[in-house]
This record gives sequence, C-alpha cells and structure tokens, in this order.
Amino acid sequence: MGAVTYPDEKVAEFVEKYMVPIQVMFDAQPLAADFKIKWTPTVITLDEEGNEHHRTVGFLSPEEFIPSLMLGMGKAHFDREKFEAAMALFDQLLKGYPKSDAAPEAVYLLGVAQYKSSHSAKPLKEAYERLHTEYPSSEWTKRAQPYRLL
Amino acid sequence: MAKTIRWEKDKDTALARARKEKKMVLLDFFNPG
Repeated sequence: MGAVTYPDEKVAEFVEKYMVPIQVMFDAQPLAADFKIKWTPTVITLDEEGNEHHRTVGFLSPEEFIPSLMLGMGKAHFDREKFEAAMALFDQLLKGYPKSDAAPEAVYLLGVAQYKSSHSAKPLKEAYERLHTEYPSSEWTKRAQPYRLL
Repeated sequence: MAKTIRWEKDKDTALARARKEKKMVLLDFFNPG
C-alpha cells in the first residue's frame, strides 16, 4: 500500500479531502489489541467517535481503494441510520467505480437504505435485479436472492 | 506539487480532528518490513 496505493495522486487527494488518516504499526498497543489486528495491511473506517464500520485486509490497488473507502463511509452513515447520506455515497461509488469489487455491496446496501427510507419493498427487488444482471457471480447477488420474490 | 497523505500518529488526535472537520477516520495498520 505504501509503495503503490498511498502515493497515488487520486488516492491522496481523496483521503485528504474526505478523511482523517492515521497510520500505526501493526503491533502498536493498545490499538492493535483493541482492533484485533492479525495481518497487514489492515485498513479500517471509523466514525468520529472511533466506532468501526468497515475493514479490509490485504493490498488494494488505487482503483479499488477509493471505492472501498467510499463504501466504508457509506456504511458508517448506514449503521447510524443516516440513510440519505449513505445513499448518496453508494450512488457516487456506483457511478464512479461500477466495476470495482466494492460495487456489489454498494448496490445491496443502497437497496436496503432505500427500503428503510421508503418502507417500500420495491428497492430491494430492484437491487436484486441489478445485482443479478451486473454482478451475477457476486456473493451479494446470492444474499439478495430472496428479494426476487418480492 | 503532488498531494501526499499527511498521516496522524495518535488516535485521539485523529478523532478530535474528525469531529472538528466532520470527517471519517481511515485507520491503517502497516508493517514496514
């Protein structure tokens, strides 16, 4: 990450603009124990109170890292029921990085956030249909399978 | 001049900045070896 992803100009711009970055050694205590770090690189998205919302383990290219951060930020909003903000981030991710590994989860969570906002089941079915069409082999397509019956 | 990431080293400092700037925190555990 330090050799390829973090020096990337788009990554650096994104991180500086939207996040507060903190970097520590894998064995720095008490953080390593608090977050149960077993392997590096481990990248975690925290909210401003220090609560974890998203984690990746292993190398991510610049093209995958930015959408992964966007997914983490969206999940932080989603977990705190800030659905409008979450939907905006998932939508932005899907428009900018539709082929990224983070995209299928964003489709799934976008559907759930829309459902929670509207109390209509339609977005869940639409999420499944989009996943089935655009990401047929994704685990998120399998997770959304029950929604096809709605 | 290209932007570079300016890393915080202390969690409390990062969280205080996050609250002030209304941002999320990216916490990276790395192994320099």
